[in-house]
Amino acid sequence: MGRAVALGFAWLLGLALLPPADAGAQTKDDTVVYAIQSDMQNWDPPNSVLRESIILGYHVFDHLAARDLKTGKVAPALALSWKNLDETTWEVKLRPNVKFHDGSKFSAKDVKASFDRVLNPENKLTARGNHTKIKSVEIVDDLTVRFKTDGAYPLFVERLSALVMQSEKAIKEKGHEWMQENPVGTGPYKLVKWNKKQDHLMVRNDDYWGPKPAFKYVRVRIIPEQATQIAELMSGGVDVIKAVPPDQMDVINKSGQARTSTSPILRTAFLQLDQAGRTGKNPFQDKRVRQAANLAVDIDGIIKHVLNGLGDRTATVINPMAFGFDPNVKPYKQDAAAAKKLLADAGYPSGFEVGFLTTAPIVEPALPQTSEAISADLAKVGIKTKKRYVGEVGPYVNLVRDSKADPMFEWSWGYYSIFDADAILYDVMRCTEPYAYYCNKALDDLIIQGRSTLDQKKRAEVYAQAQKLLLDDAAYLYKWGLRGVWGISNRIDYEAPRDEIDRMFLATPRKK
Amino acid sequence: MRRYLTRQLVQLVVVILGISLLAFTILHVLGDPVLLLLPQNAGKEEFERYRHLLGLDQPLYVQYWKFLSRAVLGDFGKSWYADTPAFRLVVERMPPTIYLTFAGLLVALLIALPLGILAALRRHSWVDSLCTAVAVAGQATPLFWLGIMLIIVFAVRLKVLPASGYGTWQHFLLPSFCLGAALAPITMRLVRSGVIEVMNMEFIKTARAKGVAEPMVVVKHAFRNACIPVITVLGLQFGQLLGGAIITETVFAWPGVATLTVESIRNQDFPVVQCAVVMLALVIVVVNLLVDVAVAMIDPRIRAGA
Repeated sequence: MGRAVALGFAWLLGLALLPPADAGAQTKDDTVVYAIQSDMQNWDPPNSVLRESIILGYHVFDHLAARDLKTGKVAPALALSWKNLDETTWEVKLRPNVKFHDGSKFSAKDVKASFDRVLNPENKLTARGNHTKIKSVEIVDDLTVRFKTDGAYPLFVERLSALVMQSEKAIKEKGHEWMQENPVGTGPYKLVKWNKKQDHLMVRNDDYWGPKPAFKYVRVRIIPEQATQIAELMSGGVDVIKAVPPDQMDVINKSGQARTSTSPILRTAFLQLDQAGRTGKNPFQDKRVRQAANLAVDIDGIIKHVLNGLGDRTATVINPMAFGFDPNVKPYKQDAAAAKKLLADAGYPSGFEVGFLTTAPIVEPALPQTSEAISADLAKVGIKTKKRYVGEVGPYVNLVRDSKADPMFEWSWGYYSIFDADAILYDVMRCTEPYAYYCNKALDDLIIQGRSTLDQKKRAEVYAQAQKLLLDDAAYLYKWGLRGVWGISNRIDYEAPRDEIDRMFLATPRKK
Repeated sequence: MRRYLTRQLVQLVVVILGISLLAFTILHVLGDPVLLLLPQNAGKEEFERYRHLLGLDQPLYVQYWKFLSRAVLGDFGKSWYADTPAFRLVVERMPPTIYLTFAGLLVALLIALPLGILAALRRHSWVDSLCTAVAVAGQATPLFWLGIMLIIVFAVRLKVLPASGYGTWQHFLLPSFCLGAALAPITMRLVRSGVIEVMNMEFIKTARAKGVAEPMVVVKHAFRNACIPVITVLGLQFGQLLGGAIITETVFAWPGVATLTVESIRNQDFPVVQCAVVMLALVIVVVNLLVDVAVAMIDPRIRAGA
């Protein structure tokens, strides 16, 4: 017994002697705390595919352009203006008097260095694929840069918001390895300390060219478990969490400590139907069967009752927030009788059984429940589904790539934050794409047309045609655009961002 | 003792080789890591280029041999995600996990020793039944659930402790209790049966006959002997404890090596997984070695035999 007590004391003593967390000078009142589920791997945004890198990158770095959350359009940031001199040349004017966190001045040479760095294949930066349409970057003068593109590149301006501007000095003098942990940006906050897998502390950049953030400090905490995040939000440990499960919204809203805020996000969810026959011969190769599937399911009902309204019906795969979305293309309406008739015409008067591959609710909330509801509706017209479940994202994507999915499977696409129809059509829907289980030469032609001109009016027309084609041919079983749910502490004012990029520099203390 | 240590060291090498081979095989069965490393919309050439860069286009035995020949020199390669040496990543995350497991071990002992001894001394009384009930309940409680409940009670409702995080002594209380509570039941039952067994031995009668006071009999004569199986089992349970750390670290956002390992498995970040698995195996084997040595020091019979 005496030994146990001694051990206990030794333990407490040991704890007392542990170094305290960096107390710093910051207090709760001048700090906003943001939680993320997993830590980013480095402080070099072009060298990561994680959303966390993009989000944290927005705090320390700037882009040439950034999305204005009010209008939804890309607006000037480090660039003041841009114009295309011809189909393949863009001239960008830069903002004067901007300083990097190390005190050096931002100018055209930094833009060139940042783009050259990502474009050089030897640097093996994972973001390279997003910018390969850019052939070269030329410095005209200190504040003017010219980009040469490989053919017409209508996504040029959108993609300006996808590359952070790093300092030429850091790239040349400090090098790649150093940059993994030492960000030198021009952004509203400077990184003070990164405790890996634990937290990031940032302090306001008082020389910032833009509006001054309200909170002096931002602390980003890594909390892997969702239930813990919610507990932290309700006990005042964090101020903003994202990806709140729909069934927890009530708990948060009734706590008196925090509230939820939702926003449509750029991801669209749908079911792929194997029209191309990649899984072998199957009923979905017949257009009438695909139409029947779309007519069989009560998508509006599922959004309302299963998703608690956290979805926006889409007629096709094009997200309503993306350029090219055509509101005149109306979604299928549930009509079981018409579905049965189409099935009978296609030679399946008593229906058929088909494989249905589904996955865990990692990207899409409540996926098991919505998959179940869709199966039930399909069964009512005679399409019986045999479910297969693969929970991990990696292996699931592998199966789809290797043509080992089922004739019907869950799929969604987040557009890589490019608000343009091309971002889903070109990457997912072309015959040659590894994820495409629908192949239609006519659609491929439209997709190429849409990206070969800078004339936005003409592009919109092309995409309207593409959406009509997708709908009439029932290329997929169309579902909805996703909505994200954020949890926000009652001590701050903050709005859920529609591009899923949280910006703590927009958070303000709540007026009492 | 020297022969014993040599044998243990040889075993250690075999165990670690086996584990690294196993981890290597399982990782490669999981699928193509490049798919997770690059954006899903990256082109085919981009994927091929990456596979070549990481050496994944070579035959498996070549890949394993390359890994092994460098790992022997302490070079586990660079993390594919973090672009920093895997070894550094793992070593940086080691201390929080070690602190947590030892804190958990201490909590387990703080609960198990008094209750186990008490139950043994008051055998078949209500105290004994109560202790057994606590043990059964403790063993049956899922670690994950217990962690969340502790957070809800102490952080959300009472607001006396932080819900999660790392850094101050307050941050240690909930996770180490959570982890300790999982290990306490089995330890308590061992202490109980150990003490009961020893209390019936001849030398206890002798001690009592000499007129030694009862508390002294229990602490000095009985407890020391009852300790041997407890220490052995605790050593074996250390691996279990590290396993429990994965859940505890996740629930309490503890920045340890256990969560790093799970995350790296998810990302198929081979160099980090390999390094972490080898290092964790090393820790477990070393702890078991220390336990053997400790038991030998407590028990002269083993020392004499070796």
